[in-house]
Amino acid sequence: MTWPGSFRRQETTHVRLLTVLGLTVLTLVVTFFLPPVADSQLAGGAAITIVILGLSWLIGWSGQISLGNSGFMAVGAYAAGIWAHHHTASPLIFTFLLATVVGGISGLIVAIPSTRLRGPYLAGMTLAFAAAITPLAQNFTSVTGGEGGLFFNTLTTPAWFLHFFSGANASINANAQWTADLAVVIAGFMFFLMANLFHSRSGRAMRLVRDNDVAAELMGINLSRTRTLAFVVAAAFAGLGGSLFAIINATVRPESFPLTLSITLLTLMVLGGIGTLSGAVIGGIIYSFSANLVSHVNSLTGVNPTSNLGANMQGIIFGVLLILTMLFAPRGIAGLIQRIRSFIYSRS
Amino acid sequence: MTDTNTRRITLELADVTVRFGGLLALNDVSFRVHENEIVGLIGPNGAGKTTAFNVVCGFQKPTSGTVSFPSIGRGALKPSQLAKAGVARTLQGVGLFRQLTILENVMAGAQSRPGGHIGASILGMPSGLKVERSLRDEAMFHLERLGITKFAAALPGGVPYGIAKKVSIARALMAKPQLLMLDEPASGLDEKELAEFVGLIGELRQTMSVLLVEHNMDFVMQLVDNLVVLNFGQVIAIGTPSDISTNPDVLAAYLGID
Repeated sequence: MTWPGSFRRQETTHVRLLTVLGLTVLTLVVTFFLPPVADSQLAGGAAITIVILGLSWLIGWSGQISLGNSGFMAVGAYAAGIWAHHHTASPLIFTFLLATVVGGISGLIVAIPSTRLRGPYLAGMTLAFAAAITPLAQNFTSVTGGEGGLFFNTLTTPAWFLHFFSGANASINANAQWTADLAVVIAGFMFFLMANLFHSRSGRAMRLVRDNDVAAELMGINLSRTRTLAFVVAAAFAGLGGSLFAIINATVRPESFPLTLSITLLTLMVLGGIGTLSGAVIGGIIYSFSANLVSHVNSLTGVNPTSNLGANMQGIIFGVLLILTMLFAPRGIAGLIQRIRSFIYSRS
Repeated sequence: MTDTNTRRITLELADVTVRFGGLLALNDVSFRVHENEIVGLIGPNGAGKTTAFNVVCGFQKPTSGTVSFPSIGRGALKPSQLAKAGVARTLQGVGLFRQLTILENVMAGAQSRPGGHIGASILGMPSGLKVERSLRDEAMFHLERLGITKFAAALPGGVPYGIAKKVSIARALMAKPQLLMLDEPASGLDEKELAEFVGLIGELRQTMSVLLVEHNMDFVMQLVDNLVVLNFGQVIAIGTPSDISTNPDVLAAYLGID
């Protein structure tokens, strides 16, 4: 059989696994050299990466818009928080699994009435879901802790890890790095799962439905089941990302997941590159260090960080970056890197 | 020519009527497609050909009458059940998935095959990979059979129309159909490509039945065993190409000759 050049190298799970393992280990090594603040930021970025992976799958691959991902994150965070608050000795892996499943169920609940909706109607439906979560969390005080939220401390740095650190701030450094390492490992694992899904028949089904739903149906695809599956997976990823966020911060509160977070997630996904795995990582990295970027811009422009303008600087920067991306790199930074790589290969 | 008395029936429409409000799109339409038979569905614009296709595919429910697939042992099917039951359809134009490569487009034709469960897929289990690899090989086989292997990595927008048409046929063949439904297969093809298509569809009839809607009469006449002629939603004639070409009702209604 004559295979065209680009198909000679067959991607396998082993290659995928080794690539993800390599990148994860590299990131873990980097965390050793980062200050505690940067480690904490990286942990948050890892949680956001997981959420963007799901969002990219939903929007980029299945073609369904969602403005409700902050809501799915909140569901996962509260599931983890409520469980961790009452079961402090429960293994973390169980807490994360619970949050993933509950997140997925919330996706199913939203998806069932949403599969018949398209475009702005679907966006409105998911937005309404996200908007409903905060008041629910505020009012069911006995379960959610109300305005004050819930506190828990389930993330303890193991004794063996503390041995790597010495000096006055050993404990702080160790805790920050352990948190970052845990988040990076979970994000790496979820990246591996999503990479498998992207390259699977289920992944192809999503793209078929997105590109041509009539033809997809003729290929034997059940449209509503496929669209529902897209939502469930995206919500499960968001649930896990939200729970990781809550566990990292040792708290979950109604204002932790505002509606603006959904917009930020969308922006980060577009900046990174819709429907790409690397785009989700790029989005997570941008999120990690957006605080530094904001502080640099504030100091460069002389804007007082506590002023109204300074407080909204992140939104302004993301907005400008989004416009620039849409104008000059519609496929995001991942697409831009791909273009540069193709250009270099074509010249060599 | 096929002996339809001894062959099993692949598709049967019995007294199918479709109404859109006050408009009678199909009126008591009945015809059969037998095993290994090529049947052409012809008629002027608005005669009801596409509606008949849509009824067969389950996109349109008949107001009355029945559709069945006796050799497959199935009654009316939903669109998403067709591929699994062994019925493949190409769409008007080409209907390819524009953001998938040609190879992926062809692989999509076997989307309804067993295997490739999401649980195994997400964990990257070898079983899912094995299925994908065999689909890839099979898709390449069909591309090779049609002589379009070199376009495997291209996107549909980057290939000539005739090639895209062949891709849509390769995709339909991935379903290993017992009934292949071709919606205007000759449209947009040049003479050389038309000759290739006649040869190809002629080959396909060895393993399947073919029902096609077509406007190109030269193409249809040299290819089909039987023709079903529709006019204003009614079957006005059924017969061999030579019968139809001399049928006065057809000449009057379809060709505009009194």
